[in-house]
Amino acid sequence: MSIRVSTAVTGVGLAVPGAMSPEDLIDSAPADAEPVSPAARVGNKGLRYKDRATQLALVCAHEALRDAGLLGPEGLTVPGETIAVLVASNYGNADTVCSVTETIAAEGATSGISPMDTPNASSNVIASTLAIKYGLRGPNLMVCNGPTSGLDAVRWATGVIGARRADRALVVATEPDNAVVRRLTGADRVVDGAAALVVENQAVAVMRGADRRAVLGPALRVHGVQECLRRLGERQQNPPGACFGPGGDVVEGSPVLGADTVCHELGDRWGELSAVLGVLQCAGAVGWFARGGAGPVYALAGHDGDDATAGLTLLPPGGVR
Amino acid sequence: MSRWPVTGVGAVTSIGSDPDELFAALCAGRSGLGRLRGFNRSWYNADRLYEVDNRPAPGMDVTGRATALLLDAVGQALRDAGREEDLSALPVLIGTGLRELRSLELWWRDGQSFDSAGMHFGTALRRRFGADDTHTISNACSASLYALALGTDLLELGDADTVVVAGVDVITESMFGLSDRLQLDPPDRLRPFDRERKGTVMGEGAAAVVLQREATGRDARGFVRGVAVNCDAYHATAPDPEGIARAVTDAHHRAGVKPQDVDLVMVHGTGTPLNDAAEATALAEVFGEHVGSPLMTGIKSMTGHTSGASGLLSLIVALHAMREGRVPPLTGLGEAALETDGFRLVRDETAASEVTLAQIDAFGFGGINAVALVEAAR
Repeated sequence: MSIRVSTAVTGVGLAVPGAMSPEDLIDSAPADAEPVSPAARVGNKGLRYKDRATQLALVCAHEALRDAGLLGPEGLTVPGETIAVLVASNYGNADTVCSVTETIAAEGATSGISPMDTPNASSNVIASTLAIKYGLRGPNLMVCNGPTSGLDAVRWATGVIGARRADRALVVATEPDNAVVRRLTGADRVVDGAAALVVENQAVAVMRGADRRAVLGPALRVHGVQECLRRLGERQQNPPGACFGPGGDVVEGSPVLGADTVCHELGDRWGELSAVLGVLQCAGAVGWFARGGAGPVYALAGHDGDDATAGLTLLPPGGVR
Repeated sequence: MSRWPVTGVGAVTSIGSDPDELFAALCAGRSGLGRLRGFNRSWYNADRLYEVDNRPAPGMDVTGRATALLLDAVGQALRDAGREEDLSALPVLIGTGLRELRSLELWWRDGQSFDSAGMHFGTALRRRFGADDTHTISNACSASLYALALGTDLLELGDADTVVVAGVDVITESMFGLSDRLQLDPPDRLRPFDRERKGTVMGEGAAAVVLQREATGRDARGFVRGVAVNCDAYHATAPDPEGIARAVTDAHHRAGVKPQDVDLVMVHGTGTPLNDAAEATALAEVFGEHVGSPLMTGIKSMTGHTSGASGLLSLIVALHAMREGRVPPLTGLGEAALETDGFRLVRDETAASEVTLAQIDAFGFGGINAVALVEAAR
């Protein structure tokens, strides 16, 4: 068995309405924030024919790579082979799939559908678009795993780095707001946004002088929110400084949490976050630590009614105080 | 070097409802190609696919067909491994190109019943097998071998003693429709590595394997020696021989083998002009003077292109070929593509051969490559 590789978050990028920095995620919400404008954030180039989820992913990926010091004016500062890509999205191409099928039936032929939709019919279009845009040649994974997808993608990032398939990973979660998603989820508010992290082998990050924002701890996926919390708590000596819940205040009152644990429910602010939740929670933990918040921090996604709850522990870069 | 025993296999395709039937059909050269069974034929130029017959009646399409195929294959693999149908706390990794998007189409357009929990396979795997550590990976046509790579990582790092790896796909009308829009002269069948190949024809199927860290009493069906994964980062739809060659070389490296050690290559061979040329070019480059050494074959002329399931289906066929000492042919191959000059393609009929080490290729949309090496249980 190999020696376990330790991983840390070394970059963050956000493309959600009303939050520009990780610290914004732990503050209270500004009401009525403007939708994210990809063109205003990264320019029009490369956005044509890309679906909304891919456009949002491009915005925050760019920011996260720059934030981690992996992207300079001349392009990547490290070989593309050392960077994996993990994207989480459940509904990224749902509207394309539905509208193509609808058009075929309406016209009784395929002549009315656009060949430009072809890449978007494949669910992994977001992950491959990011790889092509920046020349990221490491493992490229598209995680479509329900409400836990974001945390699952972070876990697989630590997995591919742990298996030494890459030194670092760009992790992006993205979901669009449209009629298909609203009808399918039954939610009256759906996030139209994305969040990105760079997760990196700590030893490699130290060698290149990268700033570590949070250290990634144990992750798991089990039945039930309370069981997930219990299992996370088993591995830590101190109660969490903060806990990012799956929505609906279901973590409050858990014996695993301390009297001083601050609970955050990001879903209260953006509505149905789906795959974005887990990655946004990790970005929130980075903001928490930047403000001097204590660790560990727990992040949970998926309710008791879902097939599972995923949990992840994040630790402050300087160790648990 | 690590090697992980495969202790159970399961498969469903248009030409066989379990691995034995599939292998027998491949050796007999039987094709699963047929007229469209679920889509409205009058809307399309193309009228042939390699579909699995699990609809309630001809022409009647229903939701949940991918899930049904997956559960079938996973159940088979568990029985074959002599395990209970209990997957609690066992990682289950599912590679798929099109998930349950066919159900999404039927829900949105035709008003069939479906909800967001059905979009990923964890919901059904929990219901049937009590699974909780499930992962739906949507990695196009290399999905199941990508899932296999993640599975071997969990075993290697000691995060699990046993994992279930699966692949599944049924055809969506959006994907079929878009390819129909692009293929003005639709291919009559799928012809891997043929000079006259005209494009791919989609197929349906599922595959599953139980993979362990160490063999436990039961005979292994073979061993996974290593799986490489990468991305061309080159073009959305056109493959890059360089990225493929890098994946093949990395797979050999991980397995600790040289090209001349490989006895059999299960090619990805989708029958599209660009894909097959890129794969053959990459194989010629990596194998060099030894390119004539391994037998080369593929299954897609008979199963169709089963997308996310195809890599793992090929792997199961390779394990079968090792056990039986015979390799099914690339059926219907006329003149071989120029890029395959010097290749030992298995043509027309089954080749008797002792295979100890096999390479399995799977390459996906967006330039995502996965290559696995498996070893016979000897």
